[in-house]
Amino acid sequence: MFEFCTRAIRKSGALHILVIAALFILLPVVKVAAGVLVAPTVVFLSETNRTGRITLRNPSDVPQEVNVYFSFGLPISDSLGNVYVMLQDSVTNDPKSALGWVKAFPRTVILPPGENQTVRLVIKPPDDLPDGEYWARIVVRSQDARTAVPEPDEAAGISTQLNMVIQTAIMLKYRTGELISNLELTSAGAKLHDNIVQVLLDLVSRGNVSYMGILHCRVLDKKDIEIGRGKINLAVYRNLRRRMDIPITAENHNPPYRVEVRITSEGRTDVPPPDMIAGNEIIYTLSLE
Amino acid sequence: MARRMRFTKHRRPIFSSFLFKLAIVAAVLWLISIPVSALDFTDGAASGTVLTIIAATSTQDLAFGSIFQGVPKLIGYNNDAASSIFTITGEASAGINLQLILPEYVSLSGGSDRMTIIFSSTDAAVDTTTATPSTVSASDGWINQNPYNLPASAVIGSAGTTRIYLGGKIVPSIDQTPGAYSGDIVLSVSYNGT
Repeated sequence: MFEFCTRAIRKSGALHILVIAALFILLPVVKVAAGVLVAPTVVFLSETNRTGRITLRNPSDVPQEVNVYFSFGLPISDSLGNVYVMLQDSVTNDPKSALGWVKAFPRTVILPPGENQTVRLVIKPPDDLPDGEYWARIVVRSQDARTAVPEPDEAAGISTQLNMVIQTAIMLKYRTGELISNLELTSAGAKLHDNIVQVLLDLVSRGNVSYMGILHCRVLDKKDIEIGRGKINLAVYRNLRRRMDIPITAENHNPPYRVEVRITSEGRTDVPPPDMIAGNEIIYTLSLE
Repeated sequence: MARRMRFTKHRRPIFSSFLFKLAIVAAVLWLISIPVSALDFTDGAASGTVLTIIAATSTQDLAFGSIFQGVPKLIGYNNDAASSIFTITGEASAGINLQLILPEYVSLSGGSDRMTIIFSSTDAAVDTTTATPSTVSASDGWINQNPYNLPASAVIGSAGTTRIYLGGKIVPSIDQTPGAYSGDIVLSVSYNGT
């Protein structure tokens, strides 16, 4: 019977159809459970390219209500080197803010399961803008479009429904004129605590664009044997105190230790190369306290 | 014609063999099982660069279940079945900024009554491994965290995923109006290195 069916399928050329049908049947099994996805991670606009777009995708099995709006928020740091991004919904007076110049179309959409939606961005900056980079955050807010609240089991019962709302904030950078990316390391320190080397760097952007790069740290012992390393993406808009914690293995190493710090704008894989503004490289060696 | 027949005979067993078809199906299934977040799905943006987007999702809602007048109900972040679970995927080890905006109360749809909801300073955990709410420990990330001030040094885990577990407490009054109450929990995410 099986052989007969196989032969029939082969003869009718229906194998391809069966394979495709099988994929559709199996698709829900391997589908990634997720909310609305937003790409790319950074949007670059310029005086020669004043329109852009982001793409939204709903890979979940429920419709999502999506709102797109703009905010302002740069990475800032505290005295411990922790980095925060505080979004400011209200109007900002920051001279580098592009908030108010940019518009999105559409701003609200119901995204059916499995569907994509392109959101167009148009920027209208003021005339005679000084050379440099101007910033805003694109905030994509999504939630389950179904609003039904579960009814209590009993007539006199109480039930709750907490709607989970996801906001994804991506950076928008508008560039004009001659662009310079330059970073200065103003102070640095490193100390060892419980087999963790804590590196603290004070960085200042001296260019007219944000410095985007990678911070590499290597911990070496007296015999130049590497006992730990770390790497993080870095974005310095103005001033930033950045901390990196590097776990080390404490066995058979020879103190004193030192940390080699290297900051470079090369190697970022999350930004298309044409949009990277090459900056300076910083190499610095620290002794462990 | 004879040569053509021989050629056809030679090819058919390869391309129509069961194993070959199975391999095609396996390859396609493997391709579609790649996390969507690892792909740049921007159509037309032909840069050739693979961009790792950041994606957040609510994989489990905070569920208080049946609530009774005057009886507060607490759900710990370590409750596997009822705590809220947010999953964030992105570039492994990248620094991320996480902010929760939490309600102070939930309300009836008409706004005729509302009920207090409390999030204490230890109601959240951030897990950069593949633990569960009940098994997450300090070595997996951050436990007993203040949900209003999540760790600033949070990163995407080495496997490309980080989870937030959130608990809370609902406080119905003695004369709480029966009905279905709702409110919003907002999670804001962004990379802090872009």
